[in-house]
Amino acid sequence: MTILPFPSFLDDVKEKGFKKAVFEGIDDSVERLTAGLNVQDLREAFRGETASRRPNPRLTPHADGFWLHMRPSYFNRDVTGMYPTFRLGWLSSYFVFFETITGILLMLWYTPSPEIAYGDMLTILSNVPLGQLMRDMHRLGAEFMVAVVAMHMMRTWITGSYKKPRQFTWFTGLLLLVITGFLSFSGYLLPWDQLSLWAVTIGASMAEATPVVGDQVNLLLRGAPELGANGLLRFYLLHVLALPALLFVFYGVHYYKVVIHGHSLPPQKENIGEDTAKRVPLDKRVYFIPDMLTYEMMWLGATTFIITVLCIWFYHAPLENHADPQVTPLGTTAPWYFLWIQGALKLGDKFFWGVAFPTIALGGLALLPYLDVTPSRRYAHRRFMLTIASLLISVTTILSYMGLAKFAVQTSAETEIVHELTFEPAHSKVGVGRTIPFDQMIVGAYSTAQMHHHDDMSPNDIIAEINAEALVNGQFEQMIQELKDQHVGANQLPLRFRAIPAAEAPTLMRVMEAFAHHLDAEPKELPNVWGALVITDNQAGLKRLDWVVSWDSVLIEGGEVQLDDNGDPILVYSDQVDAEGNPIPVRRIYSDHLFIHQASAYFD
Amino acid sequence: MNILFIKSIEGRILAGITMFVGMMILVGWVAINEEARMQSFVRQHTGRSIERGAELFASLCSECHGEEGYGAGDRAPGLNNPHLFGFDPVGLQTAAITNANRALVRLNKEIDRLLAELTDAQNPPPEERQSEILAEIAMLEAQVEEQDIAINAAVAERIAVLETLDTAVENGLFPLWDTVVDIEQTGDNEVEVFFNSNGTRLAQVGWAGDLHGYVVTTLIHGRPGSARVYPNSTGMAAWSQTAGGPLRQDQIEDLAAYILNWDKGDNWTTEDFIAVAQYGKPLADGSLPSEPPPPPAGDNVAGILQRWELEEVVGSAVSGEMLYDQEFGCTDCHRAGASAPDTIGTTTRIRNERLTLPQFAGYTIEQYIVESITRPGDYVVEGYSSGLMPVNFGLRMTDQQLADIVAYLLTQE
Repeated sequence: MTILPFPSFLDDVKEKGFKKAVFEGIDDSVERLTAGLNVQDLREAFRGETASRRPNPRLTPHADGFWLHMRPSYFNRDVTGMYPTFRLGWLSSYFVFFETITGILLMLWYTPSPEIAYGDMLTILSNVPLGQLMRDMHRLGAEFMVAVVAMHMMRTWITGSYKKPRQFTWFTGLLLLVITGFLSFSGYLLPWDQLSLWAVTIGASMAEATPVVGDQVNLLLRGAPELGANGLLRFYLLHVLALPALLFVFYGVHYYKVVIHGHSLPPQKENIGEDTAKRVPLDKRVYFIPDMLTYEMMWLGATTFIITVLCIWFYHAPLENHADPQVTPLGTTAPWYFLWIQGALKLGDKFFWGVAFPTIALGGLALLPYLDVTPSRRYAHRRFMLTIASLLISVTTILSYMGLAKFAVQTSAETEIVHELTFEPAHSKVGVGRTIPFDQMIVGAYSTAQMHHHDDMSPNDIIAEINAEALVNGQFEQMIQELKDQHVGANQLPLRFRAIPAAEAPTLMRVMEAFAHHLDAEPKELPNVWGALVITDNQAGLKRLDWVVSWDSVLIEGGEVQLDDNGDPILVYSDQVDAEGNPIPVRRIYSDHLFIHQASAYFD
Repeated sequence: MNILFIKSIEGRILAGITMFVGMMILVGWVAINEEARMQSFVRQHTGRSIERGAELFASLCSECHGEEGYGAGDRAPGLNNPHLFGFDPVGLQTAAITNANRALVRLNKEIDRLLAELTDAQNPPPEERQSEILAEIAMLEAQVEEQDIAINAAVAERIAVLETLDTAVENGLFPLWDTVVDIEQTGDNEVEVFFNSNGTRLAQVGWAGDLHGYVVTTLIHGRPGSARVYPNSTGMAAWSQTAGGPLRQDQIEDLAAYILNWDKGDNWTTEDFIAVAQYGKPLADGSLPSEPPPPPAGDNVAGILQRWELEEVVGSAVSGEMLYDQEFGCTDCHRAGASAPDTIGTTTRIRNERLTLPQFAGYTIEQYIVESITRPGDYVVEGYSSGLMPVNFGLRMTDQQLADIVAYLLTQE
């Protein structure tokens, strides 16, 4: 006997010839890699033929292999369609892995420190190839995941799948929903921009209302009374370590329970009070290999393709200005999936609506399978529970609407209007005042009063009239003083209004029309109002836009405009009188300004 | 929806492969466009950084450095300033004079050569050549005259520039004057001597780094000695949080981006140099620098109340309401009691609920309100979050504004 390297293979070659030995070697390797399927078995499987070997080799990967050991080897045909699962559980799992992969890629460029985090965001966007796509995908995936998991829960409720024996499966699912919410929420803070800081500040402040331990919980979460370096680090560790660890543990438990009990059948497919999910008749069996495997691979491709398309053309993750604890932005809200709590908070007591109510709601959900113990899963027998389900959906929707910034939070009209015109890009929207192309920002002072005159006058005549009026009643002077107070350079102050150059600057014209339109919509709070846009040069390629609102002061008490018997607002008069001896209303003025650089391209 | 459930295995495999390939093509397409996208993002971000810097400059810097960066009197130097960006008007004129002088030497040599040829006794040029030489000499003399004019203009401009700078010297406002060489020995124009060795600002202050580093460093640490040079100012403060100021590093960078955006590169002119209040000149229109703004109220409650008494500060509820609603936006939160206590009923609640608490023993309502505004973190009403109310209101309002707001709140029974 000679001692050769790879004796078995060389012996094979000697014995069977080279070609046969190689093919058998490949066959052997494939069978080991797939934990049971050789080349011929795979070929048969993917051709849709029945297995030619006995025992069925397609079951061995489930029995012997690691990757499929938890996947069932066959499904009931009744649960492989769109109904009743809507594939929501599969999609939830998909997003768990999708978020893990994109998240790990983003971690490579992220440092959880208030000094660095925002700069890292800019680096990801400006200096990491495909960085923007990864961030968009991770963010969009997170939003989808929360929605999909919530819908998965509602589907389980509606088909009654939480009933015996799946009560504990439901409970672990609810835990996964809560973990998903907190995962998404903790990720919200990491970019360290204004959006994240204030959404999380609002969200985290709810914890504070808890009696006795509220302060401690809050301190533990934020690491300091204010969100800062410690808070960011804690949220980061929650996001990348603690919550994913919990998620994977309960994900394992949840799926294990699903497999143990079998996928629950459509309610009408089994007798009342019975659970036949595990007893799949031979003619109803859909085997994982090859049918479910090819389905899942196809969905994997399709879902990833759709997310890619969405992130290329339709969705970009928002990034606002650097977080600033000193500047509270107008209209701050919690993330959309916590809006319902924010809405509930507007109903009254902070502890009850912010802490007790969500706890009761989640507790009720957790106890649902133990409270609803009726045996039937048929829709006709579950009218009460289905009504509760639709009530839950409606109440959550209404509360979420109430959570929006525009509901029951009043800001003075002029602030609101100017903000509406000038707000910085957020959630794919931007104040229309920023979208004027740079070459249309023609230096000058423009008045919305120009819109109120009839067409039979030429623009120049209208402007002459407006100028004469504003000079006589001192309102122009008041505006100039306001501009000076706001640090407009002395050489830049306008001398008079000029007609809006509609031909050269159609967008400017449209913005002024929108400005006038908004102002006219508030005749009670802003009587005799006019607005002005003053455009000045600041540097090469940099313009300054001052938005001015001037109106007669009205009596406001408790945030409400006080009306007289005719329904007109009650004006506030000054000590002075006009030429005819009538008192003059106090004239109020408000302004805000922004700078626009020609490279900023808000209109793209 | 059942199209998602393709019945045949081949169909599913085909659809799956198509989707994967499609996705890879899309990602590849994005990847080859990344370079351009990243560049345009950088441009866009630079633009927005300049915008934020402009906002900071208008609110924090324009008071002393001027709205258009031309400086304000004897309070701070102009930053929209050719000298800062390396434009040296004295050096420019010197170079112009040197060049013209060189040309003159060349022209005079040429004329001498022609004259020598014309007057050569041994070998007199023929008649034709003589008139040719005379014509050439006339042409060269015209050029000499041109150069003379150029020299005179450059000299005049140089004198003009030096004179503006002389004024600064007379005012004793020339920064780092001690570094100028000993003028007694040379008898030269002292400013000229100074500029010959300190053509640009960075050379003048002996800064070895680049301009961006110079600006950022100044913003971070301030200019500890500048109150001596600009006697009417409080001196350049340290603006960065790292040095105890209010600004974050990204804001410092925004401000630097805005300041550096004044650079005109090769297009600076001597007029630009003279227009800027570089060394404590009066403003361009001859006016004096404006009064510095009144100091903020701060957060020393006892001190504020004491000042009010001493200076007889009386608040106006009308003006207070305006400040409360508009300027400082208090009603954004103090409304309906959801995120902060309601404005209505302020004094009633303070009298009946807060001042009965042990820690407020001996407080007046006024004192409670002042403390709540200037030091909101010291006590937060039960049921509301701490940390929501900005802590810097005391720094944002003057004594009078604070008094107005207190007067307004006292009317809220």
